Amino acid sequence: MNKDFKQTSRSGSLAWLLQRISAVILFILLMLHFVTYHFLGKGKPVNYHWVMSKVGNWWFPLLQFMFLITALYHGLNGLWSVLEDYTTSKTWRLVWYSLLLTVGVVLLFVGTLTIIKLYTLKIA
Amino acid sequence: MAKIDISVKILRYLPGKDEKPRWQLFQFAIEDEATILDVLNEIHWQHDGTLSYRRSCRSSICGSCAMKVNGRNVLACETPIHRFGTKLKIEPLSGFSIIKDLVVDLEPFFAKLKRIKPYLIVDKPLPDKEFIQSTAELQAIGESTLCILCAACSAACPSSWPNQDYLGPAALLKAYRFVFDSRDDGSDERLEIINDKNGVWRCHTIFNCMEACPKKIKITDYLSRLKVKVVENSI
Repeated sequence: MNKDFKQTSRSGSLAWLLQRISAVILFILLMLHFVTYHFLGKGKPVNYHWVMSKVGNWWFPLLQFMFLITALYHGLNGLWSVLEDYTTSKTWRLVWYSLLLTVGVVLLFVGTLTIIKLYTLKIA
Repeated sequence: MAKIDISVKILRYLPGKDEKPRWQLFQFAIEDEATILDVLNEIHWQHDGTLSYRRSCRSSICGSCAMKVNGRNVLACETPIHRFGTKLKIEPLSGFSIIKDLVVDLEPFFAKLKRIKPYLIVDKPLPDKEFIQSTAELQAIGESTLCILCAACSAACPSSWPNQDYLGPAALLKAYRFVFDSRDDGSDERLEIINDKNGVWRCHTIFNCMEACPKKIKITDYLSRLKVKVVENSI
């Protein structure tokens, strides 16, 4: 073994920065979630009816969509960072990257659909 | 000085002869204030002269005798046996190929160090006498100058194990030492070298390097500052 440092011409500074920014946004959104769902109830039990009474508000889809975007980016970017530790072959990198991208797109689609469905739901 | 009975398991390996590394057990009495290096010397001089290990200064400054004892990377010369008790398990540093027994091939380690240009780069006219640094300027480099290049940190870094191309904490710490040196003009080229997928971004702040460092250098803290510097420089 006589391995040297192999420069890749691929920087990681933007991914690192965006991971930190998305972490801060996630923290703020989580606090907003706690406030809106758990503390505004003033003693009311947090159950199905309480949550469903909130989903028709204008801020619900906004908050949930931001949550969806940042959580997906943060999670998948983190996973990609871990995979990069163990994957050096170009082919496998492409396979993993495509898989993560596909998972991201599918989850984004399903998540968005759920948010829209909940917002437009007519509660009896 | 009282004597105590110890049992020492050492990972032995001779490429060409042994198919894979094997454990060998030694049992003997030694002074209770002995160091790991004293134990190895005792084995080498009294029990088995074929045991190979690196040693030089015996003062924890040359960085030759870094090895893994009971799962911890330590300098053999400065580590007393009572830190681990009477049962010792001694192995070579992880992540490097073994030349023989406890001697590992450090060529890749030093090749990576050379890549970050570990020397002062000065573009401005040289001063007549010495470079003057203020106390604040010196504090910016801090204890990063204390590194003795023993490789204990790089061997303890889990990011280094699967990816042999990763620069590793020791080379990155050396990069920090020059990037934050007020006298140095080579920051841009160094930051460009380490702003790479196999550079500073493979560090995931695991803190193993800090735990392994015999000089107690806060390596992870310095690498975090280095990441911020790279981002500032690339925006």
